[in-house]
Amino acid sequence: MVSQTAEIIRYRSLIGNLVAKDLKVRYKSSMLGFFWSLLNPLLMMMVFTFVFTKLLGETIPHFPVFVLIGLLSWNWTSTSIAAGTTSLVDNASLINKVYFPRILLPISVVASNMANYILALPVILVAMLVAGMDFTPWILYVPVIILVQMTFLIGAVLILSAVHIYFRDTTVLVEVGLLAWFFMTPIFYSVEDVAPNYVSLMYRVNPMASIIAELHTVLYYGGVPDPFFMARTFVTALAMVVVGYLLFNRVSRQLGERL
Amino acid sequence: MAVLNQPDYPAIEFRDVSRRFVLHHERRASFQDWFVGLVRPRGAAEEFWALRDVTFAVRRGETFGLVGRNGAGKSTLLKLVTRILEPSSGSVRVNGRSYAMLELGAGFHPELSGRDNVFLNGSLYGFSRKEMARRFDQIVKFAELERFIDTPVKHYSSGMYARLGFGIAVHMEPEILVIDEVLAVGDQNFQQKCYRALDELKAGGTTILFVSHDANAVRAFCDRAALLSAGQLLDVGPAEDIVDHYQRLLHETEPRVSLLRVRPVDRLGFPCDEVLSGEDLRVEVLLRIPNGGGAAGLGLQLDLIDDAGIHLFGASVDLPSDLPYARQASQRASDLPDTRVAELVIRALPLTTASVRLVATLLDLQRDGREVMDRRETQARVVPGDYTGRGLLRLDHHWSWETTPSPDAANLTAGQVGRH
Repeated sequence: MVSQTAEIIRYRSLIGNLVAKDLKVRYKSSMLGFFWSLLNPLLMMMVFTFVFTKLLGETIPHFPVFVLIGLLSWNWTSTSIAAGTTSLVDNASLINKVYFPRILLPISVVASNMANYILALPVILVAMLVAGMDFTPWILYVPVIILVQMTFLIGAVLILSAVHIYFRDTTVLVEVGLLAWFFMTPIFYSVEDVAPNYVSLMYRVNPMASIIAELHTVLYYGGVPDPFFMARTFVTALAMVVVGYLLFNRVSRQLGERL
Repeated sequence: MAVLNQPDYPAIEFRDVSRRFVLHHERRASFQDWFVGLVRPRGAAEEFWALRDVTFAVRRGETFGLVGRNGAGKSTLLKLVTRILEPSSGSVRVNGRSYAMLELGAGFHPELSGRDNVFLNGSLYGFSRKEMARRFDQIVKFAELERFIDTPVKHYSSGMYARLGFGIAVHMEPEILVIDEVLAVGDQNFQQKCYRALDELKAGGTTILFVSHDANAVRAFCDRAALLSAGQLLDVGPAEDIVDHYQRLLHETEPRVSLLRVRPVDRLGFPCDEVLSGEDLRVEVLLRIPNGGGAAGLGLQLDLIDDAGIHLFGASVDLPSDLPYARQASQRASDLPDTRVAELVIRALPLTTASVRLVATLLDLQRDGREVMDRRETQARVVPGDYTGRGLLRLDHHWSWETTPSPDAANLTAGQVGRH
């Protein structure tokens, strides 16, 4: 364990380079590529706003801002989990040619999508300005929430990428699971309004619900975060990282022959 | 770390290293297979030993060649040295910072420029940006890519690709350099340049593990070498001697009489992993008899042994001289002209459920005694199908009883008849 940690530290530049590779390939056509990646959540925001405020009569004020906060955070999760699950199989040729700590592959997926998320965050601030909403100093709490989400995602992709080596149809389940999860997460609704009875259950079983609710608290409502709320989610996330790490280590020894 | 500085401490050390691969005929790689597997037991798995009990050491600063035919285990051995694979048993020690070139430009991303790829590749081997920046100019100069270093490598020619890959490798100052057959690509000029670079590394004390089909390259370039054949280390010694040995092996004109394969097949001759209880068990044995020779004087023996090691059955036969050729024998074309087939049929297999080893033994009956020439085995599963009896054996049986002549019984019988 100690030697493995030392090894990961020795290879730390690999994460940076894998993230840089990912972003460069994604934004290949320079700035336009980056704006294109912003367009997706903005269009989603418009679709959701139209459907929910015009067709379904949703009454959350500043609905576009509300939904954009959830969508950006959710995008980080869904893209990381989808790409993280297949990250080992996608890099099979590399794994069979070069030795490096394989754990860095799924982690770098989370990291590059995190970079993408952070680059997109200013859009929320612009949207809030346009909507004429107030900022409070609690906006400084956002990095804490990002840290919790990052930990949670690393745990999730370690588990899923390891399982994917044994069960290649994990991708099918992940795809369906992400869709179900999306609807079960208060992105375009507020649990407190829609299903008050389920509030505590939702926050207990769905870390993304807690993360997005806390983002809404500090950004959308400009309110005071409850430190224990994120602390509980963080403990769950850490437990997932530990389970994921142990599982991944078991699998990574067999990668050379399983891929 | 002090130990590493002692010159006689080996750079690479293999001790009784074996590496096994399990070839699943029906590999369980999805949830779907897994659920099916809960109902139906898993098919037989074939074991394949890519390396068997390999022991050798490469001394510090030595250039060590590795020769052998395709499939001898060279690539597996290199993957063990480079930690891509772990040994099934035994120990592999690599003392020092190693750099492996199993393929030139492995890990290059086609969309990235040569420059970005140099840094990405460096980090794949654990080098920081700073360490790579220090080497960058030399690498570009070696690869002669000054004009194209900011072009995405997907536009590179194969020669440019190879030069950049090799340039990175030789500038990493590795203590141990592993090279797999990569110098075969590129033109004469490039090859000479590579050998000059390798000579410089050699002079600088780098240990080099070198795999090549080119016997002359090994002879000229290596101090010592090892010869692998069918996963076993046949010979280790001065490169000259080993290459001679290898060439003798290559030109050997008389392959041995041997067993190629044993497996259960269905009525049509297709391989099957499961055998139904009460059905005929057919075991196909493929033999190699080189140069169209006859099978006279050979004995074949087949044994069934269950998981607990109980010898369930054994039979032997003297093979006829005109043993037929196998129809579609094998995937490997080289086997075709020599491959003969024999089949053992056990009528109405009287086992209920078991995992059995089918062991085929080839005997030379001409020598005094019965000398074992080859042995090969496989696993098969016997499944009960719709048979519901208990126990290990399925014995031919029926229930019988005499009807006692009592009025009640007569009525009962009449009643039964009536119901029918």
